[in-house]
Amino acid sequence: MTGDIIIAAKLIGAGLAMIGAIGAGAGIGIVTSGAVQAMGRNPDATSTIQTNMILGIAFAEAVAIYCLVVALLILFVVG
Amino acid sequence: MEITVKESAPKKKWWRWGVNRWIVLGLIILGFIGTQYFAPVRPFIQLPAEHWINHPLFTLPFIGEFYFTNTLLALLIVDVLVILLAFFFNQAVKKGSLVLKGISGAVEALLEYLYNMTEGTAGKWAKTIFPWFATITLLVLIANWMELIPGVDSIGVIEKAETSGYSVQTVAGIQTIANPPVADGGFTLVPFVRVVSTDLNFTVALAIIAVIAVQVVGVRAQGIRYFSKFWNVKTFFKKPIFGVIDWGVGLLELVSEFSKVLSFAFRLFGNIFAGSVLLFVMGALLGRLAIFPSIFYMLEFLVGAIQAVVFGLLTMTFMAQATQGHAEHEEAHS
Repeated sequence: MTGDIIIAAKLIGAGLAMIGAIGAGAGIGIVTSGAVQAMGRNPDATSTIQTNMILGIAFAEAVAIYCLVVALLILFVVG
Repeated sequence: MEITVKESAPKKKWWRWGVNRWIVLGLIILGFIGTQYFAPVRPFIQLPAEHWINHPLFTLPFIGEFYFTNTLLALLIVDVLVILLAFFFNQAVKKGSLVLKGISGAVEALLEYLYNMTEGTAGKWAKTIFPWFATITLLVLIANWMELIPGVDSIGVIEKAETSGYSVQTVAGIQTIANPPVADGGFTLVPFVRVVSTDLNFTVALAIIAVIAVQVVGVRAQGIRYFSKFWNVKTFFKKPIFGVIDWGVGLLELVSEFSKVLSFAFRLFGNIFAGSVLLFVMGALLGRLAIFPSIFYMLEFLVGAIQAVVFGLLTMTFMAQATQGHAEHEEAHS
């Protein structure tokens, strides 16, 4: 019984940890939207914008990856 | 050139109608039939890499025991592949033809793309920074794409499971683990080769190397003045309040240097580990539908390439920032 509760708590905790991915998703959306608008207005600057866009996406995504790592640690390492 | 194209065009027409697509279709049908009889097993997912030999090779002080793991074998394979790639590329360049063909053409296109990116960001320091960028990108790219090779992660030794495992069956003379899970005393599969990016040891090591290289490039560009970024006392006495703030910002820069290691390491590890778990689980859940796991293979192909470029690109950008002085930057602002 107690073991079952611990397993359930682990699963719920892993699920809750991934809530942080919401922010990263919104951030990546905003970054890409801005970059696409900029590319549409100034197609010549596409390469510079693309590099910066990938950088911005990588930074925004990092937060989601931390959430994922926490979730994976909860699922496979803890307990 | 035009004439040769016209001559070879009619010959190729029959082939162009498609042999490869029928091979792919045949493989899909074969996979569909195969999974009806031998359903894929839900994998046992383990974070640390599995040991090949149960006793450590050697023990280092402070760091600990050194095991020969299956991810280490994968790293050795990746090293051999990178060296072979470099060798063939060198051979192709030595031949002197302007247009490279096949795999060396692809490498040339990749390197050109990376070099243009470096030159756009780093300017005159491109020649110093580019080798780091290209090395990291090629290594991580090949390491990530190894995940897509059938047999990596799925061929190995069958061992007794600790908690719950699977039963063992023999298919065409090969022992595999089979689907009815056993509550206790079952068997699990320990793969010979596991993708190296799913081992935190590799990603942390690569991240530390990248961040130290950033400091080296910074010192080479600016000399000892580079460290004034971290211990900024230039404006300490001129402008008392803002000077203290500048000094505090410098300390934060020092912290951000350490957080770079963390974010480098966990980004690559998290993406690729989650990707391989995704491939296992989707293979087990949708294995009977055969075509759906291949869509996730496509996704992982993209993610592997993007993560490799992002790792290299971030290293390159940090190096380019390190070559530009903090002081000149500030003067340009005010």
